[in-house]
Amino acid sequence: MISRFHAELATAAATAAFGLVIAVGATEFGIGWGGAGPEPGTFPFYIGLLITAASLGTLAQSAVQRGTLGQVFLTAGQVKSIIRFVLPFVAFVAVSVFLGLYVATALYMFGTLALQRHYRWPTAAAIALGLPLFLYLVLEWAFQVSLMKGPLEAALGL
Amino acid sequence: MDGLNALIHGFTVALTTYHIALMIAGVLLGILVGVLPGLGAPNGVSLLLPLTFTMDPVAAIILLTSIYWGALFGGSTTSILFNIPGEPSSVATTFDGYPMAKRGEATAALSYAFLSAGFGALLGIILITTLSGSVARFAMRFSSPEFFAVYFLAFASFVGLGNASPLKTIISIGIGFSLAAMGMDSVSGSLRLTFGLDQLIAGVSFLVAVIGLFGIGELIVTVEEGTKLNGIRARVSLRDVLRTAATLPRYWVALIRSGLVGIWMGITPGGPTAASFMSYGLARRFSPNRDKLGTGEPEGIISPETADHAAGTSAMLPMLALGVPGSATAAVMLGGLMIWGLNPGPMLFVERPDFVWGLIASMYLSNIVAVVLVLATVPAFAAILRIPFAIVGPAIIVICFVGAYTVASRPFDLWLVLAFGVVGYLFKKLDYPIAPLVLAMVIGDKAEDAFRQSLIMSKGSLAIFWSNPLVATLMVVGLVLLAWPVIGRLLGQVLAAPRPDPQAPR
Repeated sequence: MISRFHAELATAAATAAFGLVIAVGATEFGIGWGGAGPEPGTFPFYIGLLITAASLGTLAQSAVQRGTLGQVFLTAGQVKSIIRFVLPFVAFVAVSVFLGLYVATALYMFGTLALQRHYRWPTAAAIALGLPLFLYLVLEWAFQVSLMKGPLEAALGL
Repeated sequence: MDGLNALIHGFTVALTTYHIALMIAGVLLGILVGVLPGLGAPNGVSLLLPLTFTMDPVAAIILLTSIYWGALFGGSTTSILFNIPGEPSSVATTFDGYPMAKRGEATAALSYAFLSAGFGALLGIILITTLSGSVARFAMRFSSPEFFAVYFLAFASFVGLGNASPLKTIISIGIGFSLAAMGMDSVSGSLRLTFGLDQLIAGVSFLVAVIGLFGIGELIVTVEEGTKLNGIRARVSLRDVLRTAATLPRYWVALIRSGLVGIWMGITPGGPTAASFMSYGLARRFSPNRDKLGTGEPEGIISPETADHAAGTSAMLPMLALGVPGSATAAVMLGGLMIWGLNPGPMLFVERPDFVWGLIASMYLSNIVAVVLVLATVPAFAAILRIPFAIVGPAIIVICFVGAYTVASRPFDLWLVLAFGVVGYLFKKLDYPIAPLVLAMVIGDKAEDAFRQSLIMSKGSLAIFWSNPLVATLMVVGLVLLAWPVIGRLLGQVLAAPRPDPQAPR
């Protein structure tokens, strides 16, 4: 179980770190007054500082309101259902980089429907093949937009 | 060209078979986008934007705005029939829409929603027709400091008038600006904030961010909450629609009040979601039937729906006339305009009157098309919702990633979508507003350019932002809005303080 208080703290700490990274990164490009006006790093530098300051403010606010932020942010069951939903599409992204988006789509749809949701294999296979086919017809055929392809498409000469 | 002639010219541009067909296709796609949980209007418009890159800008904007109108209508269908808002701006519609449908009055609930939404949209479009030309002419006097002041005002109103914590809103805006700053600096041409990653040289596309933040983030929220669809079957008969329409004038106070709230929230960047909640809140306070609100009262449907659509349409006014969008979806469209090579803002009225007035005319037509189509297709879209989420959820995931890839054909964007999805989920759960982040990403470069050019003009002196009454007024209003959370609290305390009793013994 994760409490709202801890979630608030972790997120504010992450945004503060993001702000610092931007501010420090911006110093590389100059944050003063150059020959052609403000140097390129000036605006992002102050924005980075602003994010960090607002994040520290949020951290302080969360600490003050700790008593009212004790409610549950995520239960163990919710964490489990999120992981069950998110992990397959993280794998989908990883696979699509190597095998292309069409094959990855078919594998992802089949995997989630047949293995995770226990759909009958013929139904899962029909949906898993139908969606990439639909995407191919709409994108490549109707709108001439090309999707990332992999070795299978190369072998088929597509 | 005066307003009426310009509008007539706009109708000649919009009223072609091709454009009407695009309106119908756009509205239907929009209803689908609005109906499916996890696919909102900003995300739907982002997904389809890359497909319009090869289209003529007038046709492209007609398609995209029609998707927007359709999505606003589609969100209400699921709110009423399934108690699940398809769009965040339709949440308030569930409070009375679902109870009314459960009572067996689904047709009346849907008719109230769509007809009042149509009325709200019409108010917004009339406002745009009458005011956009004058606002644009006024904005012709603007130079860099005034433009920066307008951008400042837009962001300050998010901080001061938004529902979220002001600090969280500032963080959201700052992240948007930082992401906009990555890649090529438009003034010096140097590369910034790429952290040694070649993939960041071209910067981070706002479309990829929108797809992750709104699409993936919303889906994770949906999964976490556990989607349970308890749908009500609805068949819409023309006679019932007409009977409901005849009772609508009875609620004229709610219609006008909500329309005005929507228009205000659309022009200031409060957006449709804030408008619908505010309007529902006002109905709870001022309606003669306020005690019955929440039990299936027509006014509880009419108020949020009118405000939602009035805000959605009015958000196009600052986008067209000033180049400052009033909602997340309008921000995505503004990004589209820039990608199509148009220059949003007052000059657009001079350079491309056919585009501006064609768009305004199409807004009249496509909203009529939307009301008719949404009433006609309720049973079909309700049937789509009966497809299990186990199938729809992964299919939407695929569409989001595919859509993100089509933006620039970069595999790296798929990873970015993942990252933005996690951020979107956390931000939604912790009440960080996402719309200001998107707005900052889209107009970040323009705001920074205006700021830098102003400083170049003044040789580094910030006094340029007080150098004439116009820019000074805009800056003062912006600063008041920025400080409004503190000023409002102080005012509240002063007004609530007990007055000293003159009779009291000293």
